[in-house]
Amino acid sequence: MRFLSFVNLYGAWFFLALIPLVILYFLKLRRPRVDVPSLVLWASVLNDQRVNSPFQRFRRNLLLLLQALLLCLLVLALMQPFVPSTAEVAEYTPLLIDCSASMGAIEEATGKSRLEIVREQVREQIENLRGGQKLALFTFAATGRRLTEFTDDRRELLRALERVQPTDLPAQLDDVLRMAAAYTGSFPIERVTVLTDGNLPDRVDFELPFSLDVKRVDSGDANLGITELSARRSGAEEWEVFVRVSGSADELRGAELQIFENGQQTHTEQLEVGREESERLMIPVRATGPVLLEARLVPAGFDSLETDNVCWLSLPATRALRVWVAAGLPGWARAISVLPNVEVELSTGGEPAGSEYDMVVTDGDAAGASVAGDNGAPVVLHVGVIPEDVRGLVGLEESASVVVDWDRTAPLLRHVQLADVQIGEQPTYAAGVGVKELEERGYEVLVDGSAGPLVLQKREGLRTGWWLTFHTDRSTLPFRVGFPILAANAVESSMKQSALSEVSAAPTGVLPGILLEADREYTVKAPGGELIAGRTTATGMLTGIPAAEVGRYDVLEGGDTVAVVGTGLLSLSESSLVAVEELKFAEAKVSTGAADRLEADRPYWWLLALVAFGLMLFEWWYFQRARGSVE
Amino acid sequence: MLEGTRSAFTALFDNAVLHQIERMRLRPQRRLTNRARGEHLSGKGGSSTDFADFRDYAAGDDLRYVDWNIFARLQRPYIKQFQHEEELHVVLLVDASASMLSGGKLERAKQAAAAFGIMGLLGGERVSAYAVQGSSDSRWMLPPGTGRNRMRGLLHFLEGVVGGGSVPVEQAIEQMLKFHRGRGIAVVLSDFLTFGSLARPLNLLFSAGLEVWGLQILSEAEIHPDVQGDLRFVDSETGETLDITNASELLHVYHDQRLALSESLDNLCRSRQGRFVSVSSGESFAAFLFDRMCRQGWVQR
Repeated sequence: MRFLSFVNLYGAWFFLALIPLVILYFLKLRRPRVDVPSLVLWASVLNDQRVNSPFQRFRRNLLLLLQALLLCLLVLALMQPFVPSTAEVAEYTPLLIDCSASMGAIEEATGKSRLEIVREQVREQIENLRGGQKLALFTFAATGRRLTEFTDDRRELLRALERVQPTDLPAQLDDVLRMAAAYTGSFPIERVTVLTDGNLPDRVDFELPFSLDVKRVDSGDANLGITELSARRSGAEEWEVFVRVSGSADELRGAELQIFENGQQTHTEQLEVGREESERLMIPVRATGPVLLEARLVPAGFDSLETDNVCWLSLPATRALRVWVAAGLPGWARAISVLPNVEVELSTGGEPAGSEYDMVVTDGDAAGASVAGDNGAPVVLHVGVIPEDVRGLVGLEESASVVVDWDRTAPLLRHVQLADVQIGEQPTYAAGVGVKELEERGYEVLVDGSAGPLVLQKREGLRTGWWLTFHTDRSTLPFRVGFPILAANAVESSMKQSALSEVSAAPTGVLPGILLEADREYTVKAPGGELIAGRTTATGMLTGIPAAEVGRYDVLEGGDTVAVVGTGLLSLSESSLVAVEELKFAEAKVSTGAADRLEADRPYWWLLALVAFGLMLFEWWYFQRARGSVE
Repeated sequence: MLEGTRSAFTALFDNAVLHQIERMRLRPQRRLTNRARGEHLSGKGGSSTDFADFRDYAAGDDLRYVDWNIFARLQRPYIKQFQHEEELHVVLLVDASASMLSGGKLERAKQAAAAFGIMGLLGGERVSAYAVQGSSDSRWMLPPGTGRNRMRGLLHFLEGVVGGGSVPVEQAIEQMLKFHRGRGIAVVLSDFLTFGSLARPLNLLFSAGLEVWGLQILSEAEIHPDVQGDLRFVDSETGETLDITNASELLHVYHDQRLALSESLDNLCRSRQGRFVSVSSGESFAAFLFDRMCRQGWVQR
């Protein structure tokens, strides 16, 4: 049960002002003197029972009572009464505000977005901060962001709150929770409040050091959005573009999907989408050169979220995969050369630049090392090579080895049977060394031998390296059916890496790597007009460009557009506007429950002040109104 | 009307009013008269020429009053009785306390007293006058007198009544009765605004054989007070104060109290076979005397 409380209890001392008020009222010297022949009649008036009835006594001293009431109301307003919320009041409360794309969903009736509703609740919370209570505002979407330190400065908090806007990013709770957890060492944080629409990943990789209070807002109406956009190469100059449109409403809603190729509308599709029935479309696109594909969704009726209605996809120019194979690996060259859309170059002893090739297969000779060096190809397959930085950990012994186990889910080893492969070399761990030490150096063991790793994988940015620590020529692998599959897997991975077989639209967050001139300065113009500077690596890759907005990003070099990349929301969860009922943490589950409003103390000082003002007006009217004639 | 002129007989009213008053007579409800002969007919057998009744002859009766015509027809002596004309004593008691000074109440009381006195004197009654006042310099009593010659003395006495003082009317009545002798009419002209009880002095008047005529004179300000807000009333007689809050809200109670006082005084007078009327000092004197008093039967033309 909640009772009325007061922020400023010391204000009750002002009730003592009633004493001088009463004294002054009765001692006031300005009562006009009126000479009358006799007091007989007026004395009898005062003795009249009607005049002395409680109501008449009240009327006689109405002015005093009104003034006393007015004073009491003002003192009560000064004491700032409030009905405390049921929520526990902690001294330090971090408020984590969800700014993901779904928070921008608009309710048709009110025109308010979810974020606006949350902002109203937080504003109310800020305005009703009790003495000693401090808030810290955080926002989160794909990452977390701290808006304020712990403070009770209402103006600072409100200013920060006004800056909170929905982003075009999906929600991730982990990052901001870690940020809040970082404060637990400095402040006694017992409870963290999350203000969200519940559109979150239901699994959160985080151990809660505090209790989590999830306040959910439910608002936003039917929504349609593009949740997938990708293309698969179907021929030498042909792509199959896949578009998936999802909806949040139970009933089917109509929409028109428009496809633009380099700004020209080429396809239009009518579709109907519901929550349970998402629409998947395949659109053939013929392209000889690079094409910027734009998919635009035009819903027939009201659409709650606009940001997921457009998406871009960059189709690269179609060409064959360029593979360089070391001279000592003719078996590999033969296995790769039979694959479609592949140009294999068997080394003749020269030293071609690694950046000219999409894939390099090397056995560690001088030319191969050069090709696979820092300026090498995106995918490098080392055969019979132990990585230089792990040679102290893994050695090679002249004894037979067999495959013990392998990662069947790794792209390189998909459908590859290695059980009966005999190996004439024995990669062996050094004493006291195991998988852990390799993992610390960034290597992943894909195939385990009887004494050491047989296949290692290492990813560095957009580059992938595979190391077969044994030479395939000294094993039975080339004679097994798994060998061409292994080669095909390597080529397929390389084609994906080089975007020659499949491309997917880039979701918001960070732009995908863009291959440009090496070591050059570029400027990326964001959809909002913001200019972001970036420099390509030695391999010509421009990476790490933030892309928080849905739209088209132009890569400029000296004012000329050299590349165009587009992004889209491309999040099924965000477009579905669905709320999770429960968040699963490492050791706990937190219910998001039904829509729960962030409770704030309900202040009543303004109501009392309003009543006092009304009372003052009434008093003025009552004592200043025109007197009626007396019968 | 009250302005005196060189030709006016009295400063209280002009000669035209005086002439009308001279033709008017008092109309007491009862025949409470003195033994002395006067012009008022007594209920007892008298010696006037107005026949009253017959009665059987009794030994010792004056034979001059035997109706011989009846004796001749009936052979039995009957005595003729006539109306007895006796003298009526008119007592005028004018309240001249400080409360009567406001709103022309005292002037109206003096005018009314003069009118009743003139009617009494010209009707052959004995008229005496008393003034309730605090001033010791002026005369407060006019001894009883009769006849037209007494009229100037009466008017002179009333003209000389000066208001002031705080003697309550009930006390003044008791004081007056110490000097008064005789039955008749006691005309009390006052505002009757006193904290004391009037039952005892009216009883004394009644016991003294006086028919009480109460004439309450109130000013317009007392009948229709124009007050509002928080006020401090000051009693003109005693100087006492009374704080009234939000006076305008109490006006209806005030009116009820005023009417209740008038009704109470009326009952007091009527229960003693007297009369009572409440008038406003702002009312025209001619209308008061020649119309209202006539219609209510106090006087006759």
